[in-house]
Amino acid sequence: MAFSGALTLTDLNDFITPAAACIKPVEQVKSTEVAKAPGSAPTEIMIDSAGSYFEVEEASKAGKKLEQAQISLNDCLACSGCITSAESVLITLQSHTEVLSVLGANPAPGECGHKTPVLSIAPQALASLAAALSSSSHTPTDMRRVYRRVQAFCAQALGFAHVFDTTFARHLALREHAREFAERRAGGGRLPMLASACPGWVCYAEKAHAEMLPFIARTKSPQQVMGTLVKEWLGAKWGKRPDEIYHVSVMPCYDKKLEASRTDFQNELYATRDVDCVITTGELELLMREKGWDLALPVPGELDAPPDAVFPELMEHPGTSSGSYLHTLIAALAAAAPAPVAHTTKIVRGADYEEHTLTDAAGAVVFRGAKCYGFRNLQNVVRKVGREAGVQVGRGAAGRMGGGLRARVKKGAAAGEEGRGYDYVEVMACPGGCVNGGGQLKPPADAEGYERDWARSGVDVLPAPDAKWGDKEWNKRVEAAYWHDLPTPPASPTPDAAPDADELAERIVHELSGERREKLFRTEYRAVESQVLGLAVKW
Amino acid sequence: MDVDLPYAIHNIAALEGHDERAWHIAWNPTKPLLASCSADKSVRLYNYTSSSSLESPDLKFSHISTIPTGHSKTVRALAWAPSGKTLATASFDSNIGVWEQESSSDDDGDGDGHGHPSGEWECASLLEGHETECKSVAYSSSGTLLASCSRDKTVWIWEVHPDSDFECMSVLMEHTQDVKCVAWHPKEEILASASYDDTIRLYIDDPSEDWYCFTTLTGHTSTVWSISFSPCGNYLASGSDDRTVRIWKRVEQHKWECVSVLEEHERSVYSVSWGVGKSGTAGSLGWLASTGGDGRINIWEFTEPPDTDAHTPPKHKLIARMASAHDVSDVNTIVWCPRAGHEDMLATAGDDSTARVWRIVAA
Repeated sequence: MAFSGALTLTDLNDFITPAAACIKPVEQVKSTEVAKAPGSAPTEIMIDSAGSYFEVEEASKAGKKLEQAQISLNDCLACSGCITSAESVLITLQSHTEVLSVLGANPAPGECGHKTPVLSIAPQALASLAAALSSSSHTPTDMRRVYRRVQAFCAQALGFAHVFDTTFARHLALREHAREFAERRAGGGRLPMLASACPGWVCYAEKAHAEMLPFIARTKSPQQVMGTLVKEWLGAKWGKRPDEIYHVSVMPCYDKKLEASRTDFQNELYATRDVDCVITTGELELLMREKGWDLALPVPGELDAPPDAVFPELMEHPGTSSGSYLHTLIAALAAAAPAPVAHTTKIVRGADYEEHTLTDAAGAVVFRGAKCYGFRNLQNVVRKVGREAGVQVGRGAAGRMGGGLRARVKKGAAAGEEGRGYDYVEVMACPGGCVNGGGQLKPPADAEGYERDWARSGVDVLPAPDAKWGDKEWNKRVEAAYWHDLPTPPASPTPDAAPDADELAERIVHELSGERREKLFRTEYRAVESQVLGLAVKW
Repeated sequence: MDVDLPYAIHNIAALEGHDERAWHIAWNPTKPLLASCSADKSVRLYNYTSSSSLESPDLKFSHISTIPTGHSKTVRALAWAPSGKTLATASFDSNIGVWEQESSSDDDGDGDGHGHPSGEWECASLLEGHETECKSVAYSSSGTLLASCSRDKTVWIWEVHPDSDFECMSVLMEHTQDVKCVAWHPKEEILASASYDDTIRLYIDDPSEDWYCFTTLTGHTSTVWSISFSPCGNYLASGSDDRTVRIWKRVEQHKWECVSVLEEHERSVYSVSWGVGKSGTAGSLGWLASTGGDGRINIWEFTEPPDTDAHTPPKHKLIARMASAHDVSDVNTIVWCPRAGHEDMLATAGDDSTARVWRIVAA
């Protein structure tokens, strides 16, 4: 198991981790059959030595074992017990074994009840697989080849009818994102706009910083745009209803499972989700191992162009490996500017916190944005945005600690151009962004071709150096694989790089025009009231 | 009273006024000002002046102000910035409050120099981020960093910016349980944290990276409630639910090991404080005070033995003790006064909702 990231949680110090033990299994909904006659003996709940719950009728002392309550991911979304999610719950509810059992139970094509199985894989997941493969085999294997082999595995070993990557869906999301930013700038919403693709960040904001929700872009994430593409657009093309398609996505992140479970992405009419099941990169790797599939072996025609790809493949969006939301926006703004603008970058702290500024010829700032990854930097963004926008921060006593705080907010706001607030922030919860997602493969601890070079990274080797530093180096490998081993990241984005993709995007929007554009590409957020705080913590 | 000990502990003030249990107490490092906090969510401020009365020649403590704080739950801990101008509060409402005194136009600072400040204490900043109860807060010796810890198992490090602005520098998720206490090294930027997981962790900053835990001190067999560095910075004292006080010595740049275990308490040790002391003994490493669930105050003197090598434990000697310091109540915090001339003075906060001030005098 040493190679797999599927079942081990990360120990990086900057992730948002659940702080509490899940209390939901203890909640018990009484089934109707135990409804008692009035006046019957009271019952009490007892727990045996194995931790099972028993309902004991006081009169008889006979115990009846209670069923463990089922937790749905919706419970996780609605509960403020832990800040994002208990991964154990995520793993049991949307797992590679569930994928296998659904596929196993799927009637043959043409038979009644058959669902068309479709798989969509994120480019960061492919990069993780490519990096792992390259480090264990000495021969670098690029992402495109890995994609072909994953396609072959999913089609041949698992029986998926279609395998896509999510970059075209991301292209749609990026276009919508730019559109939403323009709307907000024109007065249709609040600025700064904050990225919405990271479900860890969205969950955290909903549970701990409701005041940030108006700032979070309502654009769907690429995964959910892909869900719409598969179930609505492709479904219509294929003559399939949404519930006649089984859509699995492979993501670098556990919280994507939670995202797919949001009620916003459920189709009530057909009782189906846009993405039925999400597995992580590590779980895909586990699947391949269970099926005895060797990703190191080439598949026929893996270097050929795809014969009839529905969507453009492995589209590059230059900028960041977490989706290039900021850079795409900058490119669009620069392209639309009446006169040339200059793009400058300032590193605030490390690669995870950068400021990007566009200035016109006169030196006036026309746009200020930031890329901000990791829990720590996220805290500072929340503080900064809260302060600059003058919104009340968080829960607790803030409101009543009033007077002094308010006075200072005004002082800060008057600081002038230098202190101009952000227009946009690309927020991601993981340090290093999505290439370092919690669902990615872990670095092969001591596999050949990968050694931790302590001395060269300038680190004094202390008695107990742990995996953090190694992971950092490993992330560089995944990042390199993501950019197809080009210098990372490549040169500045060119907005017109994908005319074909844009044309297709327009066509899809047109063909889906029965639906409101809002419904196709936008979503909503809800604050989760803190209710169980304190109860769920292991004291 | 132990007649064979060289010093006695004299009570010089009993400060009442909190409505509920007093959790913590903190001496202002630059002004004659003492702050206490309580489950009643308030902070009470006292000043002290030399008494002219012949009958009670010691200092006279007077309540001068109460900050209602606005915290929605217990204020668990306090910390003064080294400048003495800023007070931080750690609350069970999961927030850290930062308090400054309103500058008043016709009264610049201390006024008569004896600490009759006139401005109101106002909340200059609120540090949010912890998910649950904050347990402790501490300023680094330079005053540029603030650390906080919580039952959410995390330790946060904040950088102090001008205008009461703070930037989160690190969120350390090393402990597996509730973090009870944070303390900074007196000279270097080394942070220590103590936890319900029975361990103490020490952290430093990697300039090119993030803060990280460079060592974990294990040995206590139950919750570590409190930690305090010696004034020289070569030792760390810890008080635990296992009823012991342990002394850890810096044996290498990044290596600390346990060199002494002191067993003088009958219940949990809730608080330790290591002051410079006032004995004048050659080689003195200062005075260590401890207190806890048994209501007892113990004072040890530590001295560096001659011909010491890296692993030699310091010599320690119990020099004073006091039973039932807050009558039958638990004593939650003990802390030495850091101001010159007052090194023999300490304060305690107890479950009886009082704060008390003590002086160590030769028996």
